[in-house]
Amino acid sequence: MSTVTRASEHTAHGTRSAPRTRSGSRPLTGTLALARLIVRVDRIRALVWVLGVGAMGFYFAHAIQIIAEDDTALASLAGLYADPVGRMMVGPGFGMDDPTHERFFAAGYAVFIYILGALMSIFTVVRHTRADEQAGRAELVRANVVGRHATLTATLLVTAGLVLTASALVLVGALSAGYAWEGSLLVATTAAAVGLFFTGATATMAQLGESSRSATALSGGLLGLAYVIRMAGDAPEVGGTALSWASPLGWAQQTAPYVDDLWWPLLPLAGGAAVLAGLGYWLSTRRDVGAGLLPARLGRAEGRPSLGTPLGLALRSLLGTLRGWAIALVLTSLMFGSYAQTMLDSADSLPPELAGVFVGEDIMLGYLAYIALFMAVFVTAAGVGSLQQVRGEEASGRAEYGLSAPISRTAWLGAHLTITIAGVLLILVAVGAAMGAGAALSLEEDGASRFGDLLAAGVLKAPAVLSILGVVTALLGWLPRLAVPVGWLLVAFSAIIGTFGSLLELPEFVFDMDPFGHLAEYPVEAIAWEPVVWLTAIGAAGIAIGLLGWRRREVGRI
Amino acid sequence: MTPSHPLITAEGLVKSFGSVRALDGLDLTIAHGEVHGFLGPNGAGKSTTIRILLGLLRADRGAVRMFGRDPWKDAVELHRRLAYVPGDVEIWPHLTGGEVIDMFLRLRGSYDARRRNALIERFDLDPRKKTRTYSKGNRQKVALIAALAADVDLLLLDEPTAGLDPLMEAVFQEVIREKRADGVSVLLSSHILSQVEALSDRVSIIRAGRIVESGSLTELRHVTRTTIEVETAHPVGDLGGMEGVHGLRTEAGRTVFDVDGDRVPQIMTALAPREVRSLVAHPPTLEQLLMRHYGHAATDEAAADAPASPDDAKH
Repeated sequence: MSTVTRASEHTAHGTRSAPRTRSGSRPLTGTLALARLIVRVDRIRALVWVLGVGAMGFYFAHAIQIIAEDDTALASLAGLYADPVGRMMVGPGFGMDDPTHERFFAAGYAVFIYILGALMSIFTVVRHTRADEQAGRAELVRANVVGRHATLTATLLVTAGLVLTASALVLVGALSAGYAWEGSLLVATTAAAVGLFFTGATATMAQLGESSRSATALSGGLLGLAYVIRMAGDAPEVGGTALSWASPLGWAQQTAPYVDDLWWPLLPLAGGAAVLAGLGYWLSTRRDVGAGLLPARLGRAEGRPSLGTPLGLALRSLLGTLRGWAIALVLTSLMFGSYAQTMLDSADSLPPELAGVFVGEDIMLGYLAYIALFMAVFVTAAGVGSLQQVRGEEASGRAEYGLSAPISRTAWLGAHLTITIAGVLLILVAVGAAMGAGAALSLEEDGASRFGDLLAAGVLKAPAVLSILGVVTALLGWLPRLAVPVGWLLVAFSAIIGTFGSLLELPEFVFDMDPFGHLAEYPVEAIAWEPVVWLTAIGAAGIAIGLLGWRRREVGRI
Repeated sequence: MTPSHPLITAEGLVKSFGSVRALDGLDLTIAHGEVHGFLGPNGAGKSTTIRILLGLLRADRGAVRMFGRDPWKDAVELHRRLAYVPGDVEIWPHLTGGEVIDMFLRLRGSYDARRRNALIERFDLDPRKKTRTYSKGNRQKVALIAALAADVDLLLLDEPTAGLDPLMEAVFQEVIREKRADGVSVLLSSHILSQVEALSDRVSIIRAGRIVESGSLTELRHVTRTTIEVETAHPVGDLGGMEGVHGLRTEAGRTVFDVDGDRVPQIMTALAPREVRSLVAHPPTLEQLLMRHYGHAATDEAAADAPASPDDAKH
């Protein structure tokens, strides 16, 4: 019986839409079993995603009440989301003329919950459709008694389940903060609608390219496009413009929770989800298993001569990671820089907890020094990410293969370190310039000098960044298993001490372990050269020790 | 180096990973210009040996020389003269196949576009695709072309055709024969017997980190048994009782038995007066060689001898 079904499906695989099934359920045979398999395989990952989205909602809903304790604080912070730059970053800014905590939650933060939910949908759908096909697992599954639409249906069911669960947690988070019932339900439902929209969209995108990367890129690109269109639409006017309505994220925000509580903008999201999922099903019948509808993009048939050097190899290996970090960090820096004027305006009404994070008397300079430090920690993260990839080169066996060519180990690691450090320094300069540009554009006075301040503040963090990368490199040479975890630990430690250090009652030696703490907090404090010298020395020594260990130890002992 | 010295000598190599002893006193000698089959089951220590030859791992004990030099100390110099194809080919996913090939050729400093393009054509590879979209077989082709297009004296090939289809396997064998004709030495690790049999001048069989048998295929056949099927006009009589004959039986009017390699001449003399009508002799396959070392050697031995024993008793 099952053999007959499979055989007929096989012949119908091409162009003929054969009358192969009398009962409509056959293309779905095995759906529930596959859904169970997905849940089994993904139980940890799915739990982390759902809890992550839920925790984000909970955190935002409650954090606002801590940051802005009373109405005066609220009113001054409202400027963040009411001015054009703020609107560009987060949304149309409904109800900021009469701000409340719940309106703040919806206007300033809900969009990030929607985006995280959309990312959850995209990654989950790609993982169980195109990624499985690329790895050949789909073929193994389809060889069993499984209907042609079972895999996609099971994926969509599980993803929808995750979206709805996460949204329910968002609702709980908002209600637990004491926010209005209808608005909270609207925020949660919108999160669900956005999640489902991108679930459907990814079902379509997964049919197009041959690789899971292309499916993720297309779906993520759609999300990014939705954000950019919304940016351009929301910046000119409070409440957005016609352009805001061209973006799925715009529809989500036009519901104006806790202000107008409109439900009908969810219709295009729900409709879009259904149409795109349907399109995904239809497209999946137009192609073979493993094939894509778009031709795979072809690259160069021949390598450039520059690729045939250790530096060229290292550049091509690490460029993708560093470029991704650079784009994200430059955009974030631009955003933080552009908040400078708002900080200045709200300086008097800032809650002491927030002001305590910044050093010095001048709140503006304190803010600039803080963002320079914060961004430098993130640049360190980019460097650790790059070294993690170097470690990945070894773990995957590519280092072994590369070293079978006549390259010395020192040249191999040296090239990868050169690219990592040069990349990190470049990002540091770009981040400084972006912070400076953001501040210069938003500030009403002194803009040009702030640009110089922030650029210098960013670059002056280089020794601390270098010292952490030196420690990670030394471990890479001698205790490779520890290198990456210690690297991330140092980054997290620096971020926590840099942000909350002044609020925490910690012994002195803990602060001493944060390399960034030793550098002067320019532009609040004058530059101190002594720590610059010895932090750089630590970095250089770490690199030298790491190279020595790498020369001595065996390759690929993972 | 001087061809009078072997190309590769390894003596008493020991290598442990934690409590696992991957190599346990391995001896290996490979002469200049030979294709040396390195045969053994998975986990026997083939890849570990090759990694030591590449200077990526260091032996705990024992001595190893390649081109008369120490692979650990002189890795870069030695790597100019060799090319390596890893068993599990991992290549840079965002490069195209053509870029990976060219990268290796340029790193080795022996870029010959004509040879490269000819190999790409013979192996039927599309060099413009990103390697992440390649199947295992195509990734293997990339590594093979990168190695075979290089102007080197030694090829270290670790299970080089595990993902290739039979057509490409044939191309591979053809190219290796051309390489041998050009005087290139090859260490070909494999558990595919037919491949080693088809290409190798000499074979070393490795088991549990030790070489258990080493020699030319002829030499190895010498120590094993040839299967003979013969049809004679007159009964074969007490053939089963002769020294070196095992498992004599009659199948559909034909007499079938195994004979030790060094006893074949005596058996032929004994068969001649019985008026041979047809005779088929199967040389031992490498499967049989391997079975002796990895299979249930003892029980096989017993099973083969069992029918012979009654004959012995009768005698």
